[in-house]
Amino acid sequence: MTISSNRIVLALLVTAMSCCATADAATFKIATVTPEGSQWMKDMRAGAAEIKERTEGRVQIKYFGSGIMGNDQKVLGQIRIGRLQGGALTPSALGSRYPDINLYGMPLVFDSEEEAAYVRKRLDERLGAGLEEAGFVTFGFAAGGFANILSNTPVRGLADLKGKRVWVLEGDTISYASMEALSLSPVTLPLTDVLMGLQTGLIDIVAIPPIVALVLQWHTKIKYITELPLAYSLGFMAIDKGAFAKISAEDQAVFCEVMTAIYANLDQQNLVDNRGALDALINSGIKTTVFDPAEIVRIRALLEITNRELGAKGEFTIELYDEMIGYIEEYRSEHP
Amino acid sequence: MINRTRRILIRALALTLILVLTSGCASLMSSAATGLADSLSNAVLNQNDPETARIAIPAYMVLLDGILESNPDDPKLLVAAATMYATYGAVFADSELRASRLTTRARSYALRAMCNTYKESCNWPEMNYDEFVVSVQGVKAKHADILYSYGFASLVYLQAHSSDWNSLAELPEIEALFYHYLDIAGDDVTPSTHTYMGIMLTLRPPAFGGKPDEAREHFEKAIALTNGRDLGAKVEFARGYAKLMYDRELHDRLINEVLAADPEEHGLTLSNILAQEDAVIMKEEADDYFF
Repeated sequence: MTISSNRIVLALLVTAMSCCATADAATFKIATVTPEGSQWMKDMRAGAAEIKERTEGRVQIKYFGSGIMGNDQKVLGQIRIGRLQGGALTPSALGSRYPDINLYGMPLVFDSEEEAAYVRKRLDERLGAGLEEAGFVTFGFAAGGFANILSNTPVRGLADLKGKRVWVLEGDTISYASMEALSLSPVTLPLTDVLMGLQTGLIDIVAIPPIVALVLQWHTKIKYITELPLAYSLGFMAIDKGAFAKISAEDQAVFCEVMTAIYANLDQQNLVDNRGALDALINSGIKTTVFDPAEIVRIRALLEITNRELGAKGEFTIELYDEMIGYIEEYRSEHP
Repeated sequence: MINRTRRILIRALALTLILVLTSGCASLMSSAATGLADSLSNAVLNQNDPETARIAIPAYMVLLDGILESNPDDPKLLVAAATMYATYGAVFADSELRASRLTTRARSYALRAMCNTYKESCNWPEMNYDEFVVSVQGVKAKHADILYSYGFASLVYLQAHSSDWNSLAELPEIEALFYHYLDIAGDDVTPSTHTYMGIMLTLRPPAFGGKPDEAREHFEKAIALTNGRDLGAKVEFARGYAKLMYDRELHDRLINEVLAADPEEHGLTLSNILAQEDAVIMKEEADDYFF
């Protein structure tokens, strides 16, 4: 046996040993607020079953659904100490670890789903790589639709928002700063308190995608919906990079293949569902209003100044923001 | 979805048979026939082979349609028809299309029954949530059974159309309806109402405004009112509450109780057998679900 062939044998042995070392059953504990029984949860559970089967039980996924593990910060804390290995999350959850993940969700950035899709085709991979650098493996993003304005009085322009208490999710610093830039009155509340907030008049205006409004039953407390693409929402699965590295390359490939397919499907399905949910809101008696297009131009100009200030403060990478805006302008020039 | 409520629906179906064959055909049927109705009802409730029930029931649905031809506005008959169609559509329909067709008809019958006794309800389908909640409060105790029927038919309809977002939008109205029913029904409350309430209140997790504590109370009432013999209520308690709250101890206790129980119970046998079928699956899946 030559030295060269010995090296090959040695390499094979090391590889084999390394496979053995990682071939023990690995359980990924993943937290999510996604309600049990929702399509999102059903798909993720089906994915877990497929991964378990295709890795012959070496990789198992257990979901801690229904928000049982607490808010985003608690989930990240649990991931840090290794009690959880990941979460099905929204951008705000990982904004502190990778601020650029909030870029798509900045207020009034996009005009339409098509425009967002054009930009995402060019930037999703970069954002995924950014999350990986920040310590999380992801499997693509699933659109959650645009947050629309829900209110009890018609909202057709900025004047209709003045003096109203506008809900902002706790931890969403970009939206909070944007509201302040527009001289509005943001009120920070956790998701759980919004329905009561609408009931008691603590808040007057909320912005949320139609699907979420229906699931949370907020449609029972509002009368109008403004079909303004206020903020683009996303969901994704993020697994702790260190935990993911402990399974074999072969099992990683299976995990990636299965979850990427699921998230790609959800990405498409959610668009259809959001349209269905919007129609259902209208059918339930909620009236639609149209935001004055001239006002949108004016608000965008105001927000542009705020966005640059936020970028300068490190809320996101200003170069990446500019690149995103560049793609949007490119799309708009190609689709006048 | 179909498994979720089929046990509690089975009992509603049997009650329908009593109504159909005693009240609807009063002019046609003798006291001997009334006895036959009771016997048929018991035969369904105490049937320990679901397939036999599946094959037998459609004949009564057609019979009921025929009786309604000559008594189109009789609320009792309409309630009976609504319950019959809703139950069969939810429990035995073998396709989404059939479930949709049958439960749509069920709801239509229930609305006619409601409309004939409480005029304002004729406009319920066009009302928004706030208007509906105000209107439903006007239903008096003497019409509680018809309100229950409309709520039941609506719930089954929404379940059969769960892929339609309009169903989700309508769910809070049915929740409000059953709250009012519980207020007016008093001691005559149908125990399965508490199971329905438990299911509805656990559809959303606590972080999204679900009310698991209140749901638990309802599930426990449903069990207590049937002295623990309603195995379906226990299965729904495990599925709706214990799984939502990741309470494995409670889940396993309930499932083990269901599996260990004798399903034979007057008026509950068929639904208990179906509950045990579900419990077997839930026991198998528990290790994958819980941590």
